[in-house]
Amino acid sequence: MQTSALVLFVIHALIIGVGGIMAVASRSLVRALVGLIMTLFGVSGMYLLLNAPFIALMQLLIYVGAVVILIFFAIMLTKAPAGGEEERPNQVRTYLLALMAGVLPTFVIGWVVLTDQPASINAPLETGLKALGQGLMEPYFLAFELISVVLLVAMSAAVILAFKRRQSR
Amino acid sequence: MLQTEIIVPAELVRLVLGIVALAAFVGANAIVLVWLERKVAGHIQRRPGPFEVGPYGLLQTAADAAKLIGKQLTMPAGADAFLFWLAPILAFLPVFVLFMPIPFGENLYSLDMDLGLVLILAYAGFGVLSLCLAGWSSHNKWGLLGAARAVSQSVAYEIPLLLAVLAIAFMTGSFNLQAITEGQGPWPWQWNVAVQPLAFFIYFACALAETNRAPFDLPEAESELTAGFHTEYSGMGFGLFFLAEYANMIVVSSVATVLFLGGWQGPVFSGWWWFLAKVYALILAMMWFRWTYPRVRFDQLLNLNWKWFIPLGLANLLVTVAVV
Repeated sequence: MQTSALVLFVIHALIIGVGGIMAVASRSLVRALVGLIMTLFGVSGMYLLLNAPFIALMQLLIYVGAVVILIFFAIMLTKAPAGGEEERPNQVRTYLLALMAGVLPTFVIGWVVLTDQPASINAPLETGLKALGQGLMEPYFLAFELISVVLLVAMSAAVILAFKRRQSR
Repeated sequence: MLQTEIIVPAELVRLVLGIVALAAFVGANAIVLVWLERKVAGHIQRRPGPFEVGPYGLLQTAADAAKLIGKQLTMPAGADAFLFWLAPILAFLPVFVLFMPIPFGENLYSLDMDLGLVLILAYAGFGVLSLCLAGWSSHNKWGLLGAARAVSQSVAYEIPLLLAVLAIAFMTGSFNLQAITEGQGPWPWQWNVAVQPLAFFIYFACALAETNRAPFDLPEAESELTAGFHTEYSGMGFGLFFLAEYANMIVVSSVATVLFLGGWQGPVFSGWWWFLAKVYALILAMMWFRWTYPRVRFDQLLNLNWKWFIPLGLANLLVTVAVV
């Protein structure tokens, strides 16, 4: 089973990598979005490999089913022109900085995880839905609610912005 | 010599056989359903429908399929070729995943998964995505308008749909479709629809909207947008969207059958025939609606959702939680 897991890991890592490159390097916004979808899809596969099917499906449901579609909506509504700012070639310095920004966290996080094993390594391999729900409702209640406050603020701000524009017309 | 034994897990065999069978099922059903839709439309409008090709026009769909396959695939100038051809494929591929966890009979399923319902909901999102890609990459005003409508419609109607489905999941305490089926009895008054009529109504209305069926077929809207998001597709490009639409009709009807109508159980001789009978009854109802009601206006569509379905769905969920 070890080799097949490794093969699957490499396949998913490739999907994530290719998707990521497509997301930053393509010239059209919608193609970049397709790259992002590919990456999210690959990450969902990684969750499945980690034996967390619920998180994997939530990843698809929330990111591909909602977030990406809203980004799409924004692109369509703003009528992003085909020859926009993203089509101009960048300087070499920009590429180097971008590469560093991507690689540096990988090394830092990788080093931390390898030297100092996180507590979750002792968690049971398969966490049931019930345990997950109880975790969110009991020890992590405050964090969970704070996230919803963030969403609420974003939503009310969007509504206020929309109303302001309507009044000025 | 190194000997390696390859052990093929039984689930994998079941999955592969299931996908092959489902491919045949989807194809055969699409042919039957297209013929049926035209016959139903014809009889509702007091005309015979197709009857020239074969007895009762039975071969009409086969002739249409041959025509579609034989047609040249064209692409508008200025369209993004990669995205343009990705869209119909993306519309049709997830259909197989959607069918996998559905239990057609006591032992007739291809994937026994505790999260079957979540799997269906997660992959259903790809349908909208394909409509967006198709509409945007066509480089066409109608396509873009159709895609914009598809997004706002499906994002809005997904919420009450989830609320209705959650009410059932709370009652059964499981996302496993087989467990939800077995939580209901064989007689109609033991089905979930008897306990949750409002959830069934909301689910079915939202399912019509999510599959872009009339009276909620605004993304296509022949009379205003030519054909909406698939205006520019010819031949099998259009054919795949069409197949996906009919396959999605079967999926939403199957899920409704499992969640609300007792699945494969029936008063006598429980089995897949009961499942198919219920699914076909729901599909006939969908066709009946399509040829009876006029298309809603876009503001009506959104008002209906935000002012009625979402509050009703929330109230229904609250009552369910209180009772459970």
